[in-house]
Amino acid sequence: MTPAGGSAVQAALAGDPVLAAHYADFRAKAEGALDPALVALVRQAVAAVHGMGAAPNEAGLDEGTRAAIAYARRMPFEHTAISDAEAAAMVAHLGEPGFVAFSVVTALADAECRAALVDLPGLAAG
Amino acid sequence: MSTTPRVSSGIAGEPAHFGSVLAHQPAIAESFFALYGRFWGSDVLAARIKEVARMRNARVTECGFCRNVRFDKAVAQGLGEEVVDDITDGYETSPRLTDTEKAVLKFTDALIHDPELLNGDAKAALQRHLSPAQISELGLGVTLFLALAKALITMGLEPEVMDRTVLPTPAVLEAAE
Repeated sequence: MTPAGGSAVQAALAGDPVLAAHYADFRAKAEGALDPALVALVRQAVAAVHGMGAAPNEAGLDEGTRAAIAYARRMPFEHTAISDAEAAAMVAHLGEPGFVAFSVVTALADAECRAALVDLPGLAAG
Repeated sequence: MSTTPRVSSGIAGEPAHFGSVLAHQPAIAESFFALYGRFWGSDVLAARIKEVARMRNARVTECGFCRNVRFDKAVAQGLGEEVVDDITDGYETSPRLTDTEKAVLKFTDALIHDPELLNGDAKAALQRHLSPAQISELGLGVTLFLALAKALITMGLEPEVMDRTVLPTPAVLEAAE
């Protein structure tokens, strides 16, 4: 299984360098719009929900970052239950452009974990 | 689930929708549309198969926007509404879906819902009907469908009402190549 920090999708695209490059660019652009530390925390929190590693250590994190982690944890199984107030808190913390990137990164982290859980790289290897 | 946009449009004069909201992040938008165009433009996996997976994702994630959009390339390949209507629970017994499409739907359910669904028989069926390259492309597609549906929903971009809408299939812009 691909480690939570890697990308099962990227690994599965090894046979299609053009598509792989496009995917890598999209992932990099989305993650590059946010603080790398926040990206790492989000990916770790989402992976932990999927049972793919430990939850992030939140000691010493500011309130906004802890709220972002809590929000990210809801993406895998509770995305339709996220409230307007929760989203507004993220917009206040990250700004609108930041919230857009955060939404993409968090949802992509969830989807990549799921791709790893079905062993997409193994399936694509034949 | 909110139908009130939680992010404003990034394009003056346009309402908030996925494209206009993504305009707050032009680099992400440009990269995404290049990727999505390349994905849909590839014929390694037929557009009809990709659309079958996209429709299943739309239903499971409760993405009303995704559920009401049809891409014209898949429609031209015979994906009519009578087939789409069968992409619901119980699709295994559909007389309109092909065995390949049923294998694709099982994989889609496994990725977006429960990996245990891809048991020995389901995995064997997927690998019998699709080549490794096709599985790779399918996996990318389901990953993107799922992520975008969830991003769209959580940004409050679900329409209150929406008619079924056939759109041009995303394509690679020549200027971007």
